[in-house]
Amino acid sequence: MIDPITIILITLGGVLIGLGVHFIPVGGAPAAMAQATGVGTGTVQLAAGSGLTGLISAGYMYHHLAIDGIFTNSDFMLVIASGAIGAMIMITVTMFIGQLVYVYGVGVPPVSAKVKKDPITGDVQDLYVSRGTEGHGVPTVSFVSGTIGGLLGGLGGSLIYVQLMEIVSDPSNMAVVALAGIFATGVFYVNAVLASYNIGGTIEGFHDPKFKRVPKAIISCLIASLLCAIIAVPIMGGVV
Amino acid sequence: MVDPIVMDLGIVALTGALATIAGAAEDLESDVGSQSNPNSQVQLAAQMNFPHRIFNKAISGEPPAYGLWCASGATVASVLMAKEMSIFFAIAIGSFVAAIILGLFAVTAHMGRTASQKRFKQPVYMDMVIGHVPSIMAHGYIAIFCIVAFSYIMDHFMGHPFPLPLLAFLWGIAAGAIGSSTGDVHYGAEREFQNQPFGCGLNAAFSGNIVRKGEAGLRNGIDNVWACAKYGGPLTGLALGMTVFLDNWRTTVFEGMNTIIAGLIIVLILILANRMVEVKARKAYGPYKDEDGVELA
Repeated sequence: MIDPITIILITLGGVLIGLGVHFIPVGGAPAAMAQATGVGTGTVQLAAGSGLTGLISAGYMYHHLAIDGIFTNSDFMLVIASGAIGAMIMITVTMFIGQLVYVYGVGVPPVSAKVKKDPITGDVQDLYVSRGTEGHGVPTVSFVSGTIGGLLGGLGGSLIYVQLMEIVSDPSNMAVVALAGIFATGVFYVNAVLASYNIGGTIEGFHDPKFKRVPKAIISCLIASLLCAIIAVPIMGGVV
Repeated sequence: MVDPIVMDLGIVALTGALATIAGAAEDLESDVGSQSNPNSQVQLAAQMNFPHRIFNKAISGEPPAYGLWCASGATVASVLMAKEMSIFFAIAIGSFVAAIILGLFAVTAHMGRTASQKRFKQPVYMDMVIGHVPSIMAHGYIAIFCIVAFSYIMDHFMGHPFPLPLLAFLWGIAAGAIGSSTGDVHYGAEREFQNQPFGCGLNAAFSGNIVRKGEAGLRNGIDNVWACAKYGGPLTGLALGMTVFLDNWRTTVFEGMNTIIAGLIIVLILILANRMVEVKARKAYGPYKDEDGVELA
């Protein structure tokens, strides 16, 4: 018998990752030439980079709290929060340094081409878009959206890791840690790639019209994560 | 007797310093070899009738590629350490093996990509292969050595539970993601298009029209890394260094819920700093059009 709660929580983690990817402002190859708003890399790349940094933080925190054999609900919250914060730090640092490259290395102001005014700051956007481009840099609305994306990705990744670790409840066993870590990474990539197909290249954040495609991604990620969970739990020894 | 917290902070600072060097080397390696997103223009140039002498090896995104190099280096290092080799030499040899794999990847990727452009009359320059690959391997070696080294420190001195190859794999992915997101923009939006005015994004109409003439002779990947080492590379180093340092610092100095609060404060400071840069840029550069849509610049 497989514990349904574990399956549900791993699936929820996958859905959170898929949702989080939609918040991350990525402009793909065009953004690398300051032709589109967002960070100049691919959706999967940045989402995975931040989410897996969160996984490193969550792994450390879980080990620290569970090594004495007692793992309470508040410890659980602390571990997944730590994963979320780790991912948020990575993505905010990356977006900020990327912004410095756009502003001082390329000489363009951060601007969105999808909205006339920034929904958070109220700044006019369309007048600051240079000719022949679809915006450039990371305006405040995209920056905040990316931070939310990091939060959700970090939460999802660490939730999957903790659930897999709790099946065996042996944080000192390096083989178990490695298996849970690599499985969490795998589930992360599955959902990030699925969400990336839904986005289709570039997205500026939650204010982008493409964000309305989120429900489709949630359904796809739910199915994919459920399958991943059904495979992962028995491999971790979760069949009683 | 040194206070343990001072010793811990010293270790955290060392991880940050190693990550800074790793980030810079990672970005510069991708500039010599033209990997990641700006390479779309290098690939396009030949198709737009602009044959060039820029190295072209982007058959994979940087994050998975660096995940592979770092995991390979860390695996070899782990095996050698298990055989009781000294830590320094084990990491050095592991990184060297990973750099050889990177070199093989660079040669096959470049020759495969370039040969596929025969119909656009893009030549395969053998002197470029011989000239660029050692530079790619050297930059890659520095990046891999530093990533494996700070992963080892996290693993053995800071008590991280992940095995060394897994930790190096995850940090390799993060390093690739950061390099691809920050320093590569300097290469793609500025260095590749110095024939366009400074202070605007690349007009889509000029796609593929990359600069092909160098400061002396024809421009190549080594000319590009010379320019990007002045801004894009160091900033990438700063990004990876800050990520590793800030994340380790909050978990070293604080405990429990305070680590979360400290992390949230860091994130808030970065959001505010970004806003300050945005306001400053808008004031300094001004709009491209007036309110009637007439172009000002």
